[in-house]
Amino acid sequence: MNRTSSRILMLASAIALGVAIAPRHASACGDEFVPAIDHRVLGVARAEKAMQEGKYQAAAGMVVRMFPEIGRMTANGVAAKDPLVGRAMRTLALATVRTEGALNIDSEIPREARGTWSGKSSEDRQANLTWAVSAMRRVNDVRKDDPAVQSDLGEALAKLDDQKGQAKKVLEDLAAKDLLASPEGYAALARLQAEAGNTGARDAAAKRCEAMAKNPAVCRVGAGGQG
Amino acid sequence: MASASFADEAGDAKRGKELVGKYQCNRCHDGTGVESGVKPLEHCVHCHQDILAGKFRAPPDKLETWTKNLATLREVPSLSAAGKRFRRGWIATFLREPHDLRPRLLGSMPRFAISADDARDIAAYLVPNDPEPELAMSGADAVKGRALVEANGCGTCHVMTGAPPLPDAPTPLGPKDFETRPAVALAPDLRFARDRWRAAELVKWLREPRAVKADALMPQVPLTPEQARDIAAYLLTTPLAPAPPRAVPARLPVLERRVTWDEVYDRVFRKTCRHCHAEPDYALGDGGPGNTGGFGFAPRKLNLADYAGAQAGALDSSGQRKSVFAPLADGTPWLVASLLARQAEEAGKPNPEVRGMPLGLPSVAPEDIQLVETWVAQGRPQ
Repeated sequence: MNRTSSRILMLASAIALGVAIAPRHASACGDEFVPAIDHRVLGVARAEKAMQEGKYQAAAGMVVRMFPEIGRMTANGVAAKDPLVGRAMRTLALATVRTEGALNIDSEIPREARGTWSGKSSEDRQANLTWAVSAMRRVNDVRKDDPAVQSDLGEALAKLDDQKGQAKKVLEDLAAKDLLASPEGYAALARLQAEAGNTGARDAAAKRCEAMAKNPAVCRVGAGGQG
Repeated sequence: MASASFADEAGDAKRGKELVGKYQCNRCHDGTGVESGVKPLEHCVHCHQDILAGKFRAPPDKLETWTKNLATLREVPSLSAAGKRFRRGWIATFLREPHDLRPRLLGSMPRFAISADDARDIAAYLVPNDPEPELAMSGADAVKGRALVEANGCGTCHVMTGAPPLPDAPTPLGPKDFETRPAVALAPDLRFARDRWRAAELVKWLREPRAVKADALMPQVPLTPEQARDIAAYLLTTPLAPAPPRAVPARLPVLERRVTWDEVYDRVFRKTCRHCHAEPDYALGDGGPGNTGGFGFAPRKLNLADYAGAQAGALDSSGQRKSVFAPLADGTPWLVASLLARQAEEAGKPNPEVRGMPLGLPSVAPEDIQLVETWVAQGRPQ
């Protein structure tokens, strides 16, 4: 059973107990109480699978269609405490980071939800990346001590010039304990090491990335640290 | 009449009942007398039984697949009337040093982190009353007992390692007298009878199992009191050869071909590990005993349901995050060492430093451990 099917099964199990994952609505069908099914659970699982397959735009489009307000959800961090919203936020943030803030999903989402997601201008791309970092911070606040989330946060921080120092520390600390959870995280670390002139550390991080990555292209690190 | 010596210490039965809840004995065993602490979907055996009975609500094609693959936790002994059967001291020892008691049952009692005090108190709860005076067994004839064991077809369900093999003779009972499949699966190796039983309780059990334990699968075989004493004499005193040693399977070398996460997940983690090491967000907040906690274990936060989760490590016994790929003193990655430790447990050689995984279930096949070890050695490719 693939991972999406297994997550569908979890949902079916919840339904068997009469427990909705996000019980906001229900209906009575004759004498039977029918809890509403939140289809976004399946949608978020599919978006995560798309991310794992490198389909960043598709993943982002799914999330924004399900949560059109998501761009405005990071202000106080409350939304990230909802596990479903937190996962959606993290998926969209990561997709934004890995497309350099230019998601190019206008054709896939309602007009009113488009905002700056497509990153047509450098200001829009910067705004998107700033949002992604903010979202990842919120998720990290909720899922404390999760190296997988910390890895994604480090990768996001590395995209903002004024956050690179923190990015390097986060990623270095994880790598030192062999807890850096993604090849993209290692690639980000390799670029930061290159920018700092640490060629040995750059090569070590790049090597880890290449060992892990399904797509070696994610590991490209220029001499000056460019991806 | 000599029985193996397990000190029957007094304990705190009230505390023992709380500990049955803490260690979630009722997550597998019925008959504990403890109902709290385990949600419906947490009961491992009920869940599997519902799947096999077609009662679990899931798509028919999934049910069909699971039914074909479901081999473990189909039946687990009920603990009802434990106090009328077993020796308190044996229970306390077994909780800390579980071993394969039922050779025809896949899986065995898991090795939990139970202290001596906790084991003593759980035993005191399960066996609350001090034993009755031991039965006088003078005149009981072990030779006749062996003949009776053969004639009554006890070998249909039971083995007795170290004794001459019990013939698998037809029993004098009809097929409806007992449910054969679970009875065979749950029938203990009679080698251990002298550890678990006193003669007084054993004779009662042999004569009328369901008078002792209402849900007993042991059939009632017509026995006179003298015959029951003769059988008890045989079981408790016949000399036993040492149990044949079980070999630990040879550790296979790392493969040369590339092994990716997808293969390791499909062959190993998805089939077994994910049940206890799940992603809580997709499991109603319950990541399983190996993640969000259970069976008395503090949360270890190990998620083997996705790649990043596996890379993110687990909390060690001091509560610090540690990579599951960190090498132990001999260079073996912790995750691989856990899989190898389960093989050692099955061979009667538990590793005091490493708890074998999967907990209480049959060890992962050597070829699959080889796959995991190769994947780790190659840097854990996605």
